[in-house]
Amino acid sequence: MPSCAGLPQQVSCWRVNMAKLSIGIDIGGTFTDFVVHDPAADALRSFKLPTTPHDPSVAVLEGLASILKPDSTARIIHGSTVATNALLERKGVATALITTRGFRDVLQIGRQNRPQLYDLFADPPTPLVKRDWRYEVDERVDAQGNVLIALQDAQVDGLAAQLRLQGIASVAICLLFSFLHPEHEQRIANVLRRGGFFVSASHEVLPQHREYERTSTTVINAYVSPILDRYLANLETAIHSVALKSSVDLRIMQSNGGIISPAEARSNGVHCIMSGPAGGVVGALTVARAAQPPGAEVKIISFDMGGTSTDVSLCEGDIQTTSEASVGGFPIRIPIIDIHTVGAGGGSIAAVDAGGALRVGPQSAGADPGPACYGHSDTPTVTDANVVLGRLPGAYFLGGRMPLDEARAWHAIGELGARIGLSATETALGIVAIANAHMERALRVISVERGYDPRDFTLVSIGGAGGLHAAELARRVGIRSVLIPPFASTLSAYGMLAADVVKDYGITVMLPGNIDAVTLATQFQPLVDRCMHEALAEDVGPENIVIQQSLDMRYHGQSYELNIAFSPDYRTAFEAAHARAYGYHRPDVATEIVNLRVRAIGRVAKPPLQTRNASHGDSQPALLETRQVMFDRQLNVPFYRGELLQPGHALHGPAIIVRNDTTVLLNSGDNAVIDAHRNIIITVPTDGSNEATP
Amino acid sequence: MTHAELDPIRLEVYKHLFASVAEEMGVVLRKSAYSPNIKERRDYSCALFDTQGAMISQAAHIPVHLGSMPLSVLEILRVFHGSQALESGDMVILNDPYRGGTHLPDITLVAPVFENESSTAPIGFVANRAHHADVGGMQPGSMPVASEIFQEGLIIPPIKLIARGQINPAVLDLILANVRTPMERRGDLFAQIASNRRGIDRLLEMTRRYGLDEINQYMRGLLAYTERMLRNLIRSLPDGAYACTDYLDDDGLGHQRIPIQVRITIEDDSACVDFTGSAPQQAGSVNAVLAITMSAVYYVFRCLVGLDVPNNSGCMAPIRLIAPAGSIVNALKPAPVAGGNVETSQRIVDVLLGALAQALPSRVPAASQGTMNNVTIGGWDDRTDTAFTYYETVGGGMGARSDRDGASATHSHMTNTLNTPIEALEYAYPLRVLRYEVRDYSGGAGKYHGGDGIRRDTMVLTDAQVSLLTDRRELPPYGLAGGASGSCGQNVLIRDGEELPLPGKGTLQLRKGDILSLRTPGGGGYGAPDSTAND
Repeated sequence: MPSCAGLPQQVSCWRVNMAKLSIGIDIGGTFTDFVVHDPAADALRSFKLPTTPHDPSVAVLEGLASILKPDSTARIIHGSTVATNALLERKGVATALITTRGFRDVLQIGRQNRPQLYDLFADPPTPLVKRDWRYEVDERVDAQGNVLIALQDAQVDGLAAQLRLQGIASVAICLLFSFLHPEHEQRIANVLRRGGFFVSASHEVLPQHREYERTSTTVINAYVSPILDRYLANLETAIHSVALKSSVDLRIMQSNGGIISPAEARSNGVHCIMSGPAGGVVGALTVARAAQPPGAEVKIISFDMGGTSTDVSLCEGDIQTTSEASVGGFPIRIPIIDIHTVGAGGGSIAAVDAGGALRVGPQSAGADPGPACYGHSDTPTVTDANVVLGRLPGAYFLGGRMPLDEARAWHAIGELGARIGLSATETALGIVAIANAHMERALRVISVERGYDPRDFTLVSIGGAGGLHAAELARRVGIRSVLIPPFASTLSAYGMLAADVVKDYGITVMLPGNIDAVTLATQFQPLVDRCMHEALAEDVGPENIVIQQSLDMRYHGQSYELNIAFSPDYRTAFEAAHARAYGYHRPDVATEIVNLRVRAIGRVAKPPLQTRNASHGDSQPALLETRQVMFDRQLNVPFYRGELLQPGHALHGPAIIVRNDTTVLLNSGDNAVIDAHRNIIITVPTDGSNEATP
Repeated sequence: MTHAELDPIRLEVYKHLFASVAEEMGVVLRKSAYSPNIKERRDYSCALFDTQGAMISQAAHIPVHLGSMPLSVLEILRVFHGSQALESGDMVILNDPYRGGTHLPDITLVAPVFENESSTAPIGFVANRAHHADVGGMQPGSMPVASEIFQEGLIIPPIKLIARGQINPAVLDLILANVRTPMERRGDLFAQIASNRRGIDRLLEMTRRYGLDEINQYMRGLLAYTERMLRNLIRSLPDGAYACTDYLDDDGLGHQRIPIQVRITIEDDSACVDFTGSAPQQAGSVNAVLAITMSAVYYVFRCLVGLDVPNNSGCMAPIRLIAPAGSIVNALKPAPVAGGNVETSQRIVDVLLGALAQALPSRVPAASQGTMNNVTIGGWDDRTDTAFTYYETVGGGMGARSDRDGASATHSHMTNTLNTPIEALEYAYPLRVLRYEVRDYSGGAGKYHGGDGIRRDTMVLTDAQVSLLTDRRELPPYGLAGGASGSCGQNVLIRDGEELPLPGKGTLQLRKGDILSLRTPGGGGYGAPDSTAND
């Protein structure tokens, strides 16, 4: 556990006091999930409440009221879709943009491409700042950072009054080459901040080249931060009213998989856009790490199959972030957890198209009306196909709380099959095969296509719908091991408890790639200092802070970069990374260092996962019944109650494990054991026995 | 194979498998290429072909490459056979517009895919095409207003760049000796090679997994599938003949108002697209080779059929194309062709859509800007003591639709390249951008307005040569259903504060400090302006 000994007075070490409750809260579209660690009972529990879309804090407070006692002390880590929804539903605040004269339309023109090549009716997204609210100032800096036109005070003086007149609440500032010479942006920001505006300045948000992407990121930050600010202010007030005497410490989940203080989140809302999915991946990584021998490098692919879509993410040792994300059609260039999404999930609708092909997705029946088996429609979906195949018996769904209408699923799938001359079961097998093909493609994109060998990875299935597909997908891409954690459907909230403080900084430098490591280290120093300072401000002791330095490098003349860990031998590392990613390297060609990146990770202690000793008993008590399930042929398959399986129990496929939160399918040849953390670990054969059934 | 024999499930699965091969090739090419034109602007395409040269899948990159790539593979099948037959590890390079290419800057690499070292016949082909910012010739950027193709740059007939896995250094040296930016070209060619190799690996992996017979079966199945979708579309159009004529401003050498004429005859589930009556091939470089005209036809029908159809040669099966040899839509050697690809292709789309608007009024927009506004600036960069070549195309207004305004400031129809970020180009070249903004009021009026064009002003920081290949400077993009035309584009030289008009096409010498101001056309409007009270 962290120690505070020897620290200056003003820096208090934020450690997990084991007397403190730890509460992870993830607001999703349908449910708000809670995971609570109570050190007194050494217990980890989770529960769900329906999300309250009109005011998400209602569900949060209801959950907290049931957890907190008047004298509780608690650490709450919160991930929320507040910023995401403000962006996607375009419900941010009235935002202005200030640019260099001649460039206010960069936000609108973007990269001048259209979103769909062959759709004459598809348009680029409407900019978040309307044209009347984009202001220009006379100033210019060149590509070397020299000031060509100095910003005059007169340009700035009248601005605040103008903006106020328009009812502007928030202002984004993005001037050309401000990452080389931030002074002009700083002066404007100072004036406007004094004037009471929320200000998002590009040299602070994203000091990197490519003006459209920087402007977009800066504008999104201006657009959503005040919304997040208001939400967090309300939440903090409400928490204190719920738990008057409680000492509550609130932290916010970010898109990069780390946590920050509410104060930071309120001025950097763009960092919280993907907080929910980030929690899921951190959760998957944490359970996988605990399941392995200490010290072994964790290599996982997280697989989150939901109702509408499936998210996959690859982690090699740690989560991976990307700086090329887009949300709602708008680029966001800060590091965001690298998640690949495909439009296939349990609710994806199956249909026959005009050319006679069976399609699955991207349309989804969602939660309402939902799949046919929910009883409100006759729309055939992936979930219905699983019902027809006998893999998802209606009586066991959600622990029996929501019985499925099997007859309706049969009817919907049967009708669809009749149109292409197939039986209901043939159609259902086809739907599952196509959904699997979509998800397999996603797994390949993030692994094989990026030079990773899937055989080195464990597939961690999170979310409710994935258990029926995970082992089959593993087989198809050559993954040998699948892990299904005991609280698969609330893993995102657990991930928030397990997240470290993470601070990312990057700056464009454009240096030659032969610069010596010592000089480079000097260049890094100001960033490292800043990162360290801000990590300390998050109440993490210096001994728990890890600084990672990396370079975005390319060959001279290229315009995409590879991120390389900074080491004295960084050039060799770059060559190796280039060869891995693209199949060749050119040691004779000069390189460039485009960006310096520093990440500070403040390690916080995590609530331990519960461990149980292996039972040598027989899994027989968990056996529910034996039923017919359709694979390539009909088989008699044992069904087990997952909650009754004990560590040490071993199962052999074909078998189905039903749990309150998910249903897990083992194919013939798959072997599963329950480990000490109650994870289901499935070993998938890779002896080529997987006959090619696309 | 008949429709009934196809398994609708495998059909869907293979659709994605084949598409993913081309997409992955594109990722490799984009990320490992050197030139901003390929990396930042994404001016490239990748595709997979069967043994007969039919395109099975293409990653959705640049429409003008779409229908034209199969001709590259067909040319290679024609050239390399018998004792010259391709072997495992070979890769063929070409850019000759009269032998499988389009215009000289588009360099295509085609690789046969063999099941193993000892196979004698390929199981298919992979190919990629990338626009190189310089392939030599009379002007930097290789997009000059020329009078014969030999002035436009180095002509590469189909030859082996790689034989049995070994790069032929003589071929590479010869190419690099003829271009102004050999380092960049070399890097881009290596990226193209890497892309094809990735495509080969993926197709072989699929073959091992699913078996060659089934792969072949579903290659054919998907061609038939797309053909069925096209026939369904054409059957939904009223039978009849629909004609349209529109014009290019000029050929850059004084010949003005060049007609392109089309007559589309719809009969049940097939269409005849006849360009008889179009102008003969021109002295200047606005000639399109047949591959370009095919691409434009392909593009228009591909748009009308809907989003989710595989991009393959089945699309052309129900369409009979008549393009008279020696005309501007099927030019013969040695006509110069640099602008056929980028300008004439847009006008071909305009006449095709203009004709089809009569059959499908609600689904066809008014004319979009109808040009790509090609500008090339080249010279000597004193900062680095090397030659530089900067190539850019600029977006404009899109035509209004039957239910909404046209989009502003975006690329339309045959291209979708990205702009070069200002902060990237000022770092790379001795140039400074002074304005980059939406050109107000350039879209045509109407019940729905055409989209506005762009104004982009660029100052040269050194003496430089600029080539302009732009159109719609004289004759505006048409409106539909009573909507007004969009505004014509303008090219302006600003020298010592004074605005001097420039022609649409031509080459001129700029002095340090000169500003080139491009003002791109707006899209046409849709519906009479007074048909709504106020919008």
